[in-house]
Amino acid sequence: MLEQRILEQLFRRYYSKMIHLASVLLGDDEEAEDVVQDIFLRVADSDIAPKNDNYLLTTVRNACLNRIRQMQLHDKVKGLMPIEDEADLQPIDKRLERLEDIAAYVDEQLEEPHRSIFHLRFDEDLTVSEIARLLGLNPNTAYKYLMQSIQQIRHHFGKH
Amino acid sequence: METTKEREQNQAGLSSAEREGVRQSQTTNENICQLLEMLDNPDAYTEQQIQDIINRDEDTRETYRLMVEAKRSSRHRQNQKPVDIDAAWQSFNQKLQPKQQGFGWMKIAASFIGVLLVSGIAFAAIHIVRQHQKQEAPQSEITENVTNPVTTLPADTLTNDTVTVQPVIYDNTPLEKMLPEIAAHYDVKVIFTNDEVRGLRFRFVWNPQQGIDQVISDLNQFERLTVTRMDNQITVE
Repeated sequence: MLEQRILEQLFRRYYSKMIHLASVLLGDDEEAEDVVQDIFLRVADSDIAPKNDNYLLTTVRNACLNRIRQMQLHDKVKGLMPIEDEADLQPIDKRLERLEDIAAYVDEQLEEPHRSIFHLRFDEDLTVSEIARLLGLNPNTAYKYLMQSIQQIRHHFGKH
Repeated sequence: METTKEREQNQAGLSSAEREGVRQSQTTNENICQLLEMLDNPDAYTEQQIQDIINRDEDTRETYRLMVEAKRSSRHRQNQKPVDIDAAWQSFNQKLQPKQQGFGWMKIAASFIGVLLVSGIAFAAIHIVRQHQKQEAPQSEITENVTNPVTTLPADTLTNDTVTVQPVIYDNTPLEKMLPEIAAHYDVKVIFTNDEVRGLRFRFVWNPQQGIDQVISDLNQFERLTVTRMDNQITVE
């Protein structure tokens, strides 16, 4: 059993980072909290404190991917979750950096109305028909623009 | 220059998988568009159809992967609000406490067995020294608590100069009977917020030497029970 004082130190130091990662992967704050608290319960039970955040973040990622794996396919695609096991060879920090880069690229490099369509689709979870209605576009045009944005980002960031 | 006819012939010479590949490469955009349409309304598709659409070709699969990343990237951006770490720690601590005291009931029981043993020994010692002829054996339920097993007492512990404070064992006793008795000892009032908890029966060992807050904390080990104290009032939920 880990000493309460050490546990609290770890918690205060790494909780934010862990909860952020879990939220990014799961898209659900409550579930994210659940995952991270479970991990800390396990840490509390162990005798040795993890030396750095790498271990904790990897544990968060694995726990999240496990949860995603157990989801129904329909729920996975609704939440845009991976449907196949990810070969996560990159360190988590690098992955988060890449997410940051994608967001920056969208804001800086996509032109209108592509950028707005992209934001409405991914930030607001609107369907393309809803976006088309909102922006007064033909749905097919909206699909085309979204597709172009995705291709452009793919092209810029290259394949995995 | 390949004529349409030649191309058709060539395609006919390809394996069905290769032909499928050629067809797909020509219709990449269509596939991706179909993917986007499906993602707008997955409920209209069966699992098999969803799998087929996403895995139609490497381009579509890659597009889906990028969409997964785009969604994560959006969450990453949107999720930058600072975490209230104090609140999080508190909420975690609530989860942690019952776990740490996972065998809380057993611990309480064990500690009282300890109390009974120690007091039994002390009691026996007194007997020998004083050469008393008293025959009746001390009851295991209510035993003179000659020695105090608690070395450090909480600040709110009632201290008694007499050494005859006995632990009281409530066995299968309804809460509405047990709690007012305990509360009376500490001169606090009991409020039941619902009738259901009144009838709950517990086996509980109450050591009157313990402070009220320790007793409340012990009572809170019972899952169906939440006991809180505000000054001179205990609320049971």
